Order: sequence, then structure tokens, then C-alpha cells
Amino acid sequence: MADSLAIMERAYRGAVEKQFLDALYLAVELHRQLGGLDLLLRGPAVSYAATGGEVGAIQIGNRKVDVLTDPRRDLARLQESGVDVWVEEPDLAPFGIDPGALLPGVRTAASGEMARRWPDYERVFFL
Amino acid sequence: MAKAIPRTDVLVTVMGAPHADDTVTSVLRLLQAMLTRGARVQVWTCGYATLLTQRALGDSKPRNLADWSVDYPTTATLVRELLDAFPETLFWYGCRFCSDDRGATDHLPQVVMRPPARYADNVAAADKTLLVGVI
Repeated sequence: MADSLAIMERAYRGAVEKQFLDALYLAVELHRQLGGLDLLLRGPAVSYAATGGEVGAIQIGNRKVDVLTDPRRDLARLQESGVDVWVEEPDLAPFGIDPGALLPGVRTAASGEMARRWPDYERVFFL
Repeated sequence: MAKAIPRTDVLVTVMGAPHADDTVTSVLRLLQAMLTRGARVQVWTCGYATLLTQRALGDSKPRNLADWSVDYPTTATLVRELLDAFPETLFWYGCRFCSDDRGATDHLPQVVMRPPARYADNVAAADKTLLVGVI
């Protein structure tokens, strides 16, 4: 368990405007600077951990924009750097996500399970 | 005398703030689709949406430490390129009041800042008006 817990509840916040520079990018820095991070996805953000989603390119003017936000790629990078990624299990069903269809290494937490662990963390961030 | 607003098929009024949800992505895709089909379109940005076309954004976003060599275009670049691609059929307006209120005073030269009291002129110049987002 890391010293810091990050909770992400909101998702899809500006694929064109943010591109790579989103809350998961901030999570990378929190993990690096603060010596470790656990990440809990709740609400719509649980879909970030679902397999099968592909971020395509869009055409704007004569440019093919293929650098839109790619949360699955960024979650994988976080995991590679040592971040434990959790999803709140009850939030999967409303988005039609089977718990067995999560990205490798993503763990599920029961409702309120992570909240009960807050006292064990030194820092809790809402991203 | 104020310059007349060119006649368009559609006015898209964008009030949703960038960076908050995927409104801007949807709007740009909608504009591209309409313009590609030959429609004449005007955009009016209000609120934080006026920030999209600031020249201070530059051509590219800051470097990505994880992908150092990749170029990430700013919204100002994307809007400019959209205007360049459809110079006869796309017109971009911004609300001067909202823009000034947010300190965004230097926009792409193609963007025409308008007083909010003249918004009805833009509506009148379009066959249909679509308002997206909440200020």
C-alpha cells in the first residue's frame, strides 16, 4: 500500500484540449514526487480500466488529430511505474463493464472499502 | 458601420468550458462534419469557450515528458487550421464581454469579437442555431 491515495470520479474531460495533459498525467507526478500512489477509479472513470476501448483519430480541417487523451494507455503507464489501480466494483455494472474485462492488474474494491482505508493513507487526493 | 454577419446555415453557440468535458471535441467534430458536407457555419463562443482561440496558447502544447518528440496542437491551432481549411464557409465569433472578463484579449486574427448585445444579429444570420454547453 502506498502513502497516497488518488480518487478519480470524473472522466472524459477534454480529449482535444488536454490530450496527454490530464489528471492521469498529474497522477504520474504525484506518484513520482510523493513516493508512491494508489489510484481508485469510481463513477464514469471506471470505464478507463475496461479493455476493448480504442481511442481513434479525428479530422479537424486538414489535420488528422491522433493525440487525443488515451486513458487506457496512461493507466498502463501508471501501473508500469508501480501504481496500484483499483476500481469500485458496484460502479462497473451501470456502464456495462464485466469485472472480468478489466485491464490486467486492475483490482476491484467493494463499495466503501477504500474509504475505510483512508486513515491508513497520509494523503488522499481527488483528481 | 458594423460589418454585416454573413449568412450561414447554422450558428453553433459554444458556452461549455474547455477542459471540463468533451464538449469541445464534439463541437469540432460537428463543425468538421457540417463543413465537409458543404454547409456554411458560424461559431459564437461565450464564457470560458472564448479561451479556445487565444494566441497566447501558441501552436503547440507544452512538451509531454513521456513522449518528448510528439507535437500536440493547441485549440488555437486547431481552430485556425479549421478556418484555413474552410475560408469561405466558416466564420468564428467570440463574446468580447466574456473574453475580457477572463483576461483573454488577444485572439487569432480570424476571430471577430462581438458585443453580447449584438448576439441576435448572429442568430438572425443563421437558418438554425444550436447552443452547446452551459456558461
